Amino acid sequence: MARIETQAVEFDALLKTRGVTRRRFLEFCGAVTVSLGLSEALAPKVAEAIEENVIGKAKGKLAPVLWLELASCTGCTESFAQVETPDVATVVLELISLNYAETLSAGAGYSLELAKKQTMEEAAGEYIVIIEGALMEGWEGNALRIANEKAVDIIREVSANAKAIVCAGSCAVDGGWQAAVPNPGGATGIEPFLKREKAAGRFTYEVDPTVDIPPIINVPTCPSNPEHLVAVLVDVLLVGKLPELDSHNKPTLMFGEYIHDNCPRRGHFENGEFVRQFGSEEERKGYCLYALGCKGPQTKNNCPIVRWNRRVSWCVEAGAPCIGCASADPTKAGFNWVDLNTPFFNRVKNLKIGDIILQPATLAAGIGGIAAIALIAHGFGMKATGRTKGGADFESERKWDAKHPDKAIATAPAAQAAKSTQEAEAAEEADEQTEGGDQ
Amino acid sequence: MAHLAHYRQAHPLPFVITHWINLICILVLIFTGFYIHFPYFSGFMGVARGLHLGLGYLLVINCAVRIILSLFIKSAPTAGSREVDRDIKSFLPQKDNRHQFGAWIKYYLFIKKEHPLGAKYGVPQKLAYAAIPFLILLVAFTGLCLYAPTSVVGPFAAFNGLVGGVMVTRIIHYCIMWVFIIFIALHAYLATIEGLAPAKMMFGWKEHGGLVYSPETHTIIGEDDLDGKDH
Amino acid sequence: MAKENPATPEDTQSDSAVKPDGEGAAAVGDSDAASGAAATSAELPEAPEPVSGEAPAVVLKRPSGVSIIDPVNRIEGHLRIDMEVENGKVANVWASGGLFRGMELVLEKRKSTDAPYISQRICGVCPVSHAHASSMAAEKSYGIEIPSTARIIRNIVEGAQFLHSHILWFYNLAALDYVNPLNALTADIADTVALANAAGTTQADFANLKNRLQAFADNGQLSLFSGHWFNTADVGAEGGKNAYQLPAELDLIATAHYLEALEMQALSSEISGIIGGKMPHIMTSIPGGTTFVPTEEKLDDLLFRAQKLAAWVTNTMIPDTLAIAPFYMDVFGYGDNAANYIAWGVFDEPGFDPDKRYLPGGVWSMNETSRYKLDGSSKYKTVQSANEALITETTVHSFYEADDITHRNPSRDGITRPLYYNEAMVTDEERRSGKKPFDRYTWDKAARYDKLPFEAGGLSRLLVAYNRGIPEIVKGIDGVLTALGVPGRVELLNSTMGRTGARNIETQYVANKMVEWVGELIEAIKGGDTTTFKEAENRTGEGFGMWEAPRGALYHYMSLKDDIIDRYQIIIPSTWNISPRDDSDVHGPMEQSLLDVPVEDMEQPIHALRTVHSFDPCVACAVHITEPATGKKFSTVTNPWGVK
Repeated sequence: MARIETQAVEFDALLKTRGVTRRRFLEFCGAVTVSLGLSEALAPKVAEAIEENVIGKAKGKLAPVLWLELASCTGCTESFAQVETPDVATVVLELISLNYAETLSAGAGYSLELAKKQTMEEAAGEYIVIIEGALMEGWEGNALRIANEKAVDIIREVSANAKAIVCAGSCAVDGGWQAAVPNPGGATGIEPFLKREKAAGRFTYEVDPTVDIPPIINVPTCPSNPEHLVAVLVDVLLVGKLPELDSHNKPTLMFGEYIHDNCPRRGHFENGEFVRQFGSEEERKGYCLYALGCKGPQTKNNCPIVRWNRRVSWCVEAGAPCIGCASADPTKAGFNWVDLNTPFFNRVKNLKIGDIILQPATLAAGIGGIAAIALIAHGFGMKATGRTKGGADFESERKWDAKHPDKAIATAPAAQAAKSTQEAEAAEEADEQTEGGDQ
Repeated sequence: MAHLAHYRQAHPLPFVITHWINLICILVLIFTGFYIHFPYFSGFMGVARGLHLGLGYLLVINCAVRIILSLFIKSAPTAGSREVDRDIKSFLPQKDNRHQFGAWIKYYLFIKKEHPLGAKYGVPQKLAYAAIPFLILLVAFTGLCLYAPTSVVGPFAAFNGLVGGVMVTRIIHYCIMWVFIIFIALHAYLATIEGLAPAKMMFGWKEHGGLVYSPETHTIIGEDDLDGKDH
Repeated sequence: MAKENPATPEDTQSDSAVKPDGEGAAAVGDSDAASGAAATSAELPEAPEPVSGEAPAVVLKRPSGVSIIDPVNRIEGHLRIDMEVENGKVANVWASGGLFRGMELVLEKRKSTDAPYISQRICGVCPVSHAHASSMAAEKSYGIEIPSTARIIRNIVEGAQFLHSHILWFYNLAALDYVNPLNALTADIADTVALANAAGTTQADFANLKNRLQAFADNGQLSLFSGHWFNTADVGAEGGKNAYQLPAELDLIATAHYLEALEMQALSSEISGIIGGKMPHIMTSIPGGTTFVPTEEKLDDLLFRAQKLAAWVTNTMIPDTLAIAPFYMDVFGYGDNAANYIAWGVFDEPGFDPDKRYLPGGVWSMNETSRYKLDGSSKYKTVQSANEALITETTVHSFYEADDITHRNPSRDGITRPLYYNEAMVTDEERRSGKKPFDRYTWDKAARYDKLPFEAGGLSRLLVAYNRGIPEIVKGIDGVLTALGVPGRVELLNSTMGRTGARNIETQYVANKMVEWVGELIEAIKGGDTTTFKEAENRTGEGFGMWEAPRGALYHYMSLKDDIIDRYQIIIPSTWNISPRDDSDVHGPMEQSLLDVPVEDMEQPIHALRTVHSFDPCVACAVHITEPATGKKFSTVTNPWGVK
């Protein structure tokens, strides 16, 4: 059971009892340590700044940036670290002042929160916010708490004075996979959240109260492509204006064309050369993955051009059908890339009707089958009633006419209309039977 | 021999031709559409897409031509008669159709034994035919939403945005195709189950004798065996 | 810190003699043990600025109260650490995962082939491991085994992720607990070159880097150093000793290698990218094998990257570790826990036996050497094979509804109902029995093996491999302990520094193996063994995948009906490590390790932070739930910490 012994041993004493030494160090640096004291004279200027302010100078040649991680997998930060040019160190030392980033910051806890607070106060209207991960609204926002605050409150607060917000990755755009059915934690994207808050009167964009929400740049994909992210930052910082955005606030340069249209395997598609099974000869030949459910034809991204991991490869080149992870719709709920694209290896997504999940083809074939069966059954009925040879005999008089002689459609009396007696008799019989059937 | 006489006036030659074009277009579109939906065999995608696109445009053009012609060309709005009027009348409510919807449904369901009296097209038939141009427009519209070069154009892009992306548009497009399939099955069935005379007229422009109907009195007034004599 | 140069390894001969830094420097040249900085109890509470001049004669009061780290930085996910500090030591601790996402619920009713793609989104640092564990669970459900070539490819991409993760973690995440890049501004370039030579690590363009840092400093914005803890005072340090103890020159070397490591982790991810299409979140590992086709063009891309990485790890990462560690021998002095270790094993060999993997699976304990005795640990004194049936999760301290089964085995009865817990929801009965709202404090569940807490991670893998006699690991551990002057003292690895250093030994091992595996792949292709995928006939059944993420033991379970997921369960490494108390009020490994950790500055508990980082926690992964089943009851609360 439990811990029976929790000795409060002084750790330094413990260290000694464990016989830890510094011998190793002395072996290799003994020769140079003598001179180490000398460098103290060159006290760096940063030291002065640090004393008053945990972020140093609030404003300088670097653009202040806060990188907020919400319900994320940290994949976008990881991805950011894989950028080709400029490398991530150049970005954080020479392009932006990354004052708050949970995964990268040197600071932690209270002092890190202080860095965020100071940036928001002293660089109000100047700082750019990069948001990674979905916002969680479940349990009134308690599904995600950071530094003892609900993330929903943090976002409201940080957005109010942001120069622009970059939503990195599909999660920040529309909730991503976390918003997929059944959306257990109440995931949503930043843009839809702020719009709803604005509509409910709970949010004001302090920098420019004439607009509803801060400028938002949505950079979906799971994770966000680092070349995209850095390009967006460069656009905003160097060019001094937002990149051209589409109706979903996605940069058109990156999300304007379908993957399919730039795919190196497009030729195989047009030739009708498809991989139908993994491990097949066709797969080895690098044929088109369309038949295996590749979502390239309906996903807009320039993956085939910009590629991944310092441009060494991308999904289709590695032999994987696109799963449409760049699909993200900030304008409506329920169109996250997981719900939109599963099953990944099927050509079209599943339909959900109540608790039933099925493919559109199954549904259509079902309805088509029912129609076919109905027609065949009807055909037997037609045969049985003798209508297949020229159809049934015509009614001698419209039923309406018979019931409403004053408003009759036919102008000639029904009895006269039927020229042949045979027909007239048949008509009478039929009428009687119909009436009988009605009762 | 209870059906009405089939005269060429009911289906003037231009409409026989547009019907042929419709038939070919829709059948090939369905086939190529299925192939594009999922390539069941190899080597056909480029052709399938070319055909699908080309015949898609042809279907729309044919539909437009058919509608425009219906304003000018005259046809018989009732079967069993050679009296003609503007063809569009065949697709609009006529006096002959009044109060006959129930009768048709009852007839189809074997509740009513006798064939209802009516115009060239019965009420359910007329409704179905009138819906076809709209269906063609919708399927063409969604098709253009899916076709990459047009998918970025205003209304098409807006539609994709409205429904939640190309994947959803694709499903809508696919479902409309199934409406066409079910329509064709039903149409072919009803047009042929009582005898091949209507089909022979529609495809071969071949007249066929039968009862004669008077558009004036809205009643059957006789029979014509096509020996040159009218009753 | 910057102003002071704490780097000097002070007096090494005497136990407690205290000298100001300058004099301490003069004393260098002698050798021997004493833990300089940590060797005295005199210290300055909450004194960011060092007191220079003579050492204070008085012993100052040690801090007591509540110390909180929230958010914990440089980890994956949202973690909060609450510590009650008494007289300068952590007396009680709560580790809280602050995020709930619900991965298993999202996976249900989807196809088995979707699961690897979706489930790896649990974590952007170790997605490959999730893809593999999920695929393995599916393969077990189908009853198939993947082709050997697919196995090799999976090993390579998994290995690439391990290298990426470990390199990034050591240099870019953990290092900032030990290295102060701002201090590097004061470094002398000639000395830096000499020091790098002495340390046997690689040179860099130190002058250029220093200029870059100077330009950065001149600008005055602190960027990612905002809110840094570089000024934190050290426990036991006389004269306001700073917690960052490296000489400026070593700080400069480490900073140069921090930048180089960014390159190297990216290079490693290039291997994942080549095989997986992209990284994070690879695309090619799916149930049945891999969709990656190893063409000749790709083989050389893999081989020479693997070779470059292996050389870098050998020539830079390991020497750096050995250079930095001696300045922080005190970090061997805390962060110890009950010393129970689990590993499910990773990197399959041709026979697919978990106990024979390149890093084998096993359960092992050296609890008898620990201060925290746990009954029942002794049966794992010799390494045992892992038994899935003994894995359980308990939620008595987590935000889930009270459970009729305290210890739930994930495959047998893994069902949980999420419930955000607050004071109002404590029943009268519970209140009478003294239960407080704070009793439920995390979204993380408490994972237990044989009802005992076990540590997962690099150290666990290494110790299991050490006990299973993997030659390179035995040599690596013995070698490092000898190099640090404590030969054979394996129990010293049960500490914050041990856990930190173990990962680097593993990095070396995996880097070397990577070159071997690419060679194995080339041989397989040469031999015509190009089958990389096996199609499943049957898609109904259940199975689990037990594998390792860089952070430790990873478990995925799925049950399938006609290829549709009926139930899904995940237990990830940090569920073991950051686990809350269990039903017997036994802490999880990280909480255990935090107990008794010295706290000097209540706002900047650097030793606690180092200890947390040594586990490389992956919190987003750790927090997950299973089907709420019926009686779903979601409740809310304003502030769960309000009472504290």
